[in-house]
Amino acid sequence: MTVRSERVRVALVLGLLAVGHFALRPWLGNPRVAPDFLFLAVLVYAVRTRPGRAAVAGFLIGLLSDSLNPVAFGSAMLAYAVVGYLAAWGKAVFFADNPGVAGGLFFAGVVIRDVLVLLWGGHAAGTTAFWQLVLWTPLQALTTAVTGVLVLLLFHESLHVRVRE
Amino acid sequence: MGPERFTSRWDTLAIVVCVVLAIAARAIPAPVQDAVAAAVRRSVAVPLLALQHQTELLRSSRARLHRLVAERDSSLVLAIRTDALAEENDRLRELLALRNRLGGRAVAAEVLRQSGPTAGLTLVLTAGSSSGVRPLTPMVAPGGLLGVVRSVDPSYSVAVLWTHPDFRVAAMTLDGSVGLVSPAPATGPETMLLQLTGVPYRDLVPPGTRLYTAGFGDVYPRGIPIGEVLGVAREQEGVSRTYLVRAAVHPGAVAHVILLVAPELDVSAAFGNDGGT
Repeated sequence: MTVRSERVRVALVLGLLAVGHFALRPWLGNPRVAPDFLFLAVLVYAVRTRPGRAAVAGFLIGLLSDSLNPVAFGSAMLAYAVVGYLAAWGKAVFFADNPGVAGGLFFAGVVIRDVLVLLWGGHAAGTTAFWQLVLWTPLQALTTAVTGVLVLLLFHESLHVRVRE
Repeated sequence: MGPERFTSRWDTLAIVVCVVLAIAARAIPAPVQDAVAAAVRRSVAVPLLALQHQTELLRSSRARLHRLVAERDSSLVLAIRTDALAEENDRLRELLALRNRLGGRAVAAEVLRQSGPTAGLTLVLTAGSSSGVRPLTPMVAPGGLLGVVRSVDPSYSVAVLWTHPDFRVAAMTLDGSVGLVSPAPATGPETMLLQLTGVPYRDLVPPGTRLYTAGFGDVYPRGIPIGEVLGVAREQEGVSRTYLVRAAVHPGAVAHVILLVAPELDVSAAFGNDGGT
């Protein structure tokens, strides 16, 4: 597979996730629990690229998120960029290249993102934030992680993920 | 693959620039933030929101068809009675020398839900300035008040829900008690309540009392249902009481909303200058 065709295939997978966020997610029930496909696209991109590029990609998706949900403008940009950077760096340093640990990475990514968004957005105090972090965030992290693992298994050839050790 | 290969100067520079830009975005004045957000919504987000709009229409169309048929049947029955009432009303207005009421206009919009931990505070709506929507347009659902439009694009707008910490609306009861309604601290994962503050101690508002918008200020017209009083939350002895209020509309339960683009804010024009009241 050439570098060009490989990039095209990865771009197609990321594009599918972006489309899924807007076309599939509304069908998946409670929006607080439904997987965040757009954030998953950032993480999938992050685990196969350099931290700097992952940070820039996270920043841009965070900008889109902040524009569609302008509660604390800038908070999603920061959170997505930091998580993208950490995911790319952490994956290279600590994590093996397999779907299981990638699932854990996706779970942690959603949790860290929500903590950063609430903290940096000034919404971390109060019982609403408490329930968000104790209940809704772990549930969404779980659904996002499961979806991420399914995506990696489904597109492991395009994403160069080892299904078996 | 070693860690040193993954932490080049370029990577460090990229994350630093991103963090600095994010901090700057958080610090810039709100109008500039809104302008940047609007620029993104009007460019890269347009096809994505259009896709989500079509999905929402598809998802809700079947359930909505059944509900519409039932509502249409009920409306037909009411309409038959309304004709007689309208005629009677016109006659009474004539007797009292009142002019006709000002006309209001409502725009229906689909709700496009977003993801993220603060997504329950705002909504993206599929109606914008091309439909006559303006900032501070009240947003209602069939049960009552849901929020207010914050920023407007040609085809979409962003509205603040009553769950937003900045949400405030002047409220009244039918017997004349007034106060300010704002979001109450959550008591559970699914519990979202409002609170009625500033009610004088002498005015007791019993549980079950319905609250309506008071019409003070230039945002909300008078008479939109806000919710129902559940009980006293706390009181400042001899001065005032704060009541817990169950909202008339739960934000999670709505798929489409109505925007009151021309609410009857000033009904004085409906009365003749010479006729008085």
